[in-house]
Amino acid sequence: MSRKKALKGKGTTKNPKGSPSGGGGGGGGRTGKGLAAGASPTSGLVYPSRPSISSSGEFYDIAFKVMLVGDSGVGKTCLLVRFKDGAFLAGSFISTVGIDFRNKVMSIDAVKVKLQIWDTAGQERFRSVTHAYYRDAHALLLLYDVTNKASFDNIRAWLTEIYEYTQQDVVVMLLGNKADSNHDRVVKREEGEKLAKEFGVPFMETSARSGLNVELAFTAVAKELKHRTMKEPDEPKFQLQEYVSKEMRTAGCCRS
Amino acid sequence: MEKNKTNSTGDTAKDRVNRVDPYGFERPEDFDYESYEELMSEYLVVLTQRSIKWSKLLKSKRKVQRNVKLKRYIRKGVPNEHRALVWMAASGAQEQLEKNPGYYQALLGAQHDPKLVETICTDLNRTFPDNVQFRKTSNPCLQKALYNVLLAYGHHNAAVGYCQGMNFIAGYLLIVTKDEEKSFWLMDALLGRILPDYYSPAMLGLKTDQEVLGELVRVKSPRVWKAMMDHNVMWTLVVSRWFICLFIDILPVETVLRIWDCLFYEGSKILFRVALTLIHHYRDLIEQAQSLPDICQIFKQITRGAFVEECHPFMQKIFTEPGSLSIATLTKLRAACRARVIAEEAE
Repeated sequence: MSRKKALKGKGTTKNPKGSPSGGGGGGGGRTGKGLAAGASPTSGLVYPSRPSISSSGEFYDIAFKVMLVGDSGVGKTCLLVRFKDGAFLAGSFISTVGIDFRNKVMSIDAVKVKLQIWDTAGQERFRSVTHAYYRDAHALLLLYDVTNKASFDNIRAWLTEIYEYTQQDVVVMLLGNKADSNHDRVVKREEGEKLAKEFGVPFMETSARSGLNVELAFTAVAKELKHRTMKEPDEPKFQLQEYVSKEMRTAGCCRS
Repeated sequence: MEKNKTNSTGDTAKDRVNRVDPYGFERPEDFDYESYEELMSEYLVVLTQRSIKWSKLLKSKRKVQRNVKLKRYIRKGVPNEHRALVWMAASGAQEQLEKNPGYYQALLGAQHDPKLVETICTDLNRTFPDNVQFRKTSNPCLQKALYNVLLAYGHHNAAVGYCQGMNFIAGYLLIVTKDEEKSFWLMDALLGRILPDYYSPAMLGLKTDQEVLGELVRVKSPRVWKAMMDHNVMWTLVVSRWFICLFIDILPVETVLRIWDCLFYEGSKILFRVALTLIHHYRDLIEQAQSLPDICQIFKQITRGAFVEECHPFMQKIFTEPGSLSIATLTKLRAACRARVIAEEAE
């Protein structure tokens, strides 16, 4: 049986707890159908009292699925490798075919948050293969390349597609990547800001090459998702937009 | 050169083995030189034997004829010096090349679709950056040849144009044939006749074959199939690259070329044999997976290590381990899965 149908049909009710990971915990998590069965972001994936262990052997408390999307060549894989390994090796990357993922465990307010980050092929025809994965994503980082106008112009189409295939409360963040390329820049920061505002999504410019805002992009998403899941009743809502504006650095500016 | 330090007593496999493989790929940092040397000492014997046999075969025949003997020879591996010739003959690419003189050059000379050009260019620097032949500084530089072959093919088959993954395939063809026009006609053989429609915008052939593999696993390794179901893993997640890249950058170079030897002669069935062998051989490991990410990790893991590095025994395994796989079965499964994929997409 193809899995697609099963996903469509059964939706989110079957697995209220989700199943973040392998192993350690025993019980709860393992009886579920895996992340692909799609617990909604707010409904679960929480194991504060029962740490799990990921396949790489790292302990974590909660896990979320983050997807990197955007046109071909905007730097999705580079951004992910910069975040995961802190490295940028110019000219060492190959085009991503299909879909791939890497894990990273972050410490957010003393909680171990595992981000399961899915890297997708940017070429349009691969979307029909990858969008089946949008539906249970907790967050999407949508990238364009500030040196490539077409990749920016396509953002509207991307957002339309994202909202068609994802859950309603998915966290979306717009990233203008390659912000270090001063000479080749064709998309101004203000244009990115304006578009993000129009769609009501947080925005920042990033550079996988220099590392600008890379950690922040993932941290902000992790914080938002963690707060949503573990918020105490009297705790104020986490202000993602505010947090991003406060922490963000701008390309080529003295603030860095 | 370090590898020439043969008479010093302290030299290691790392001193003796070239840092760049015979195809131009730089060996990775963690490359296991000891195991490689050990493996090659055995494999070189095979290669030499095969080379002698092939030379005899090709000397006695004016043309490469399809027959049982050739099939047997191909399954045991085509020596690299004869690969271009045998691939061209076995796939019908040679025939097309001879029937269409000047066609390739004419495609390159014609006006180019700027969108196609741009899409191809996005991937040029991202095709084998670890291969010295694809560096801008190398002479000849295969990057230019890669651009030409992809551009010509994109115009030749406008319905497909360019799809990511084709860059790697064209790259391998260039490494083996060292000839743009031959690479072009081999692309034509692969995408036009040997493979289903993996690369067209709807990617229907890919979606179909992923499901077909699922059905075959269901019969041949049922517990793996169950594990995949239990963890809700779509096949596309773990095998789309296997089909799209024809195992490039998934299995070791030598193993990929051995698979392609059979692919050009026997057709796309061979891809299922390879996939099923990997899955069946590592069925216990896959069954033990605890989660979807676990399964993804395992599917990466099983494409590395001695089992796939030792290409000669591996290629024998693919004809025994998965059991029988008839064209009739495949045709039937493909029709059923294709209909299902189309129906689901229409929903």
